[in-house]
Amino acid sequence: MSDSANDGSRRADHLSAVPPLTPDPAMEANELLRAVARGDEAAFERLYDLVAPRVYGLARRVLRDPAQAEEVAQEVLVEVWRTASRFDPARGSATAWVFTIAHRRAVDRVRSEQAGAERARRLAAAQGETPYDEVVDQATAHLEQQQVRRCIQTLTGLQREAITLAYYGGYTYREVAELLGTALPTIKTRMRDGLIRLRDCLGVEVTA
Amino acid sequence: MTTDVHALAGAYALHALSDIERGAFARHLAECESCAHEVAELQETAARLADGAWSVPPPRLRANVLAEIRQTRQAPPGHADRPARASASTAGGRRRRSLALAAAAAAVLAAGTGTVSYVAQEQRVRDERATAEALRAEAAQIEAVLAASDAQLRSAPVTGGGQITMVLSESLDEGVVMLSGARPPGAGKAYQLWFVAAGGPDSRGVMTSGEGGATKLIKKVRGMDTLGVTIEPDDGSAKTPNAPLVASVPVQV
Repeated sequence: MSDSANDGSRRADHLSAVPPLTPDPAMEANELLRAVARGDEAAFERLYDLVAPRVYGLARRVLRDPAQAEEVAQEVLVEVWRTASRFDPARGSATAWVFTIAHRRAVDRVRSEQAGAERARRLAAAQGETPYDEVVDQATAHLEQQQVRRCIQTLTGLQREAITLAYYGGYTYREVAELLGTALPTIKTRMRDGLIRLRDCLGVEVTA
Repeated sequence: MTTDVHALAGAYALHALSDIERGAFARHLAECESCAHEVAELQETAARLADGAWSVPPPRLRANVLAEIRQTRQAPPGHADRPARASASTAGGRRRRSLALAAAAAAVLAAGTGTVSYVAQEQRVRDERATAEALRAEAAQIEAVLAASDAQLRSAPVTGGGQITMVLSESLDEGVVMLSGARPPGAGKAYQLWFVAAGGPDSRGVMTSGEGGATKLIKKVRGMDTLGVTIEPDDGSAKTPNAPLVASVPVQV
């Protein structure tokens, strides 16, 4: 896969531009998204399989309602298709681009709909939520998921709560401060230094 | 004021600002190159949190999304829509799988690759690379079974807790067996899989030693009536089942 396959050339080039199994999923997503930007539906299907469980899972985690999560996931995935050409690899990975859109949409939906108190109640009630399908329990063995969980465990209690309430709960930092009974500047700071610690733990780098 | 605004980088990356604050921060970003880089990294980090929310979507979502994108024009500078290619319609065959199978397949696949990577970590010593490649090849074979158009799903409970789930493809003559939530078999022991047919039981391999959950690719599945599971020594020395069956998965229904 490279730019050397000059555009508008033979179809076979396009097909081979999507290798059957790339060892690094992050690289694979970047390549697929570039192919999607050129209208490659087969690449989109592969990208779908790669990102849909996280897009849907994230929407579900934030919204708590499977039906709304499905709606948001569909909007997000179609948006990925529609705006793929706007993805700029200098600003981050393709998966991050997709999940940023997904998170933004889920958060917008939640803020347009519900009062914070109601969400807090539901968030508390949703501890230990039942899995979509019993077999899906197995997904907890997913390596990336475990890496994220492990890194979240390296945060201080306040960093962890501030970040998870904002990200998975869809709260603004003001709401988070209120929920945790902590001063606003402290929450701002914990969100930033917590993310920095996560970044280092996960080995995230953006080389622009 | 600048430091104050800058402290919002984390909240910005987490989409935790109000619209007004978000706008203010975006203006600050446009003027501050080092901030832009930090924010890009924090956004990349925040997006990794999506990994922690993994959940199998309803299978109809795939069909709905694919149908919708076929009718959605892409924003420039993308090319004009193309008709679906041959490879796309081949992949489309997968959508014929039942709801349960698709969900199970996704889960098995996720569990499978997770296991693969963990095994690779534990054995990191010498031949990590060779091991990783072999495991990756196995992961690809597992994926092929799960994606087979004739894939069939079977499952049964395991005595003492847990479940055994199996996806079989006649055409590939291979299957994927996933054991989940079962009692650990004890030190030096493992769950062993048996091909049960008219000719008597024949081993189809041993699951991970001491583990009550694992995923395994099995071969030569044609003609199998039942998959039997027993607890045996973990070295695969048992040529016939010595212990009582703890699970029995009928292939024919």
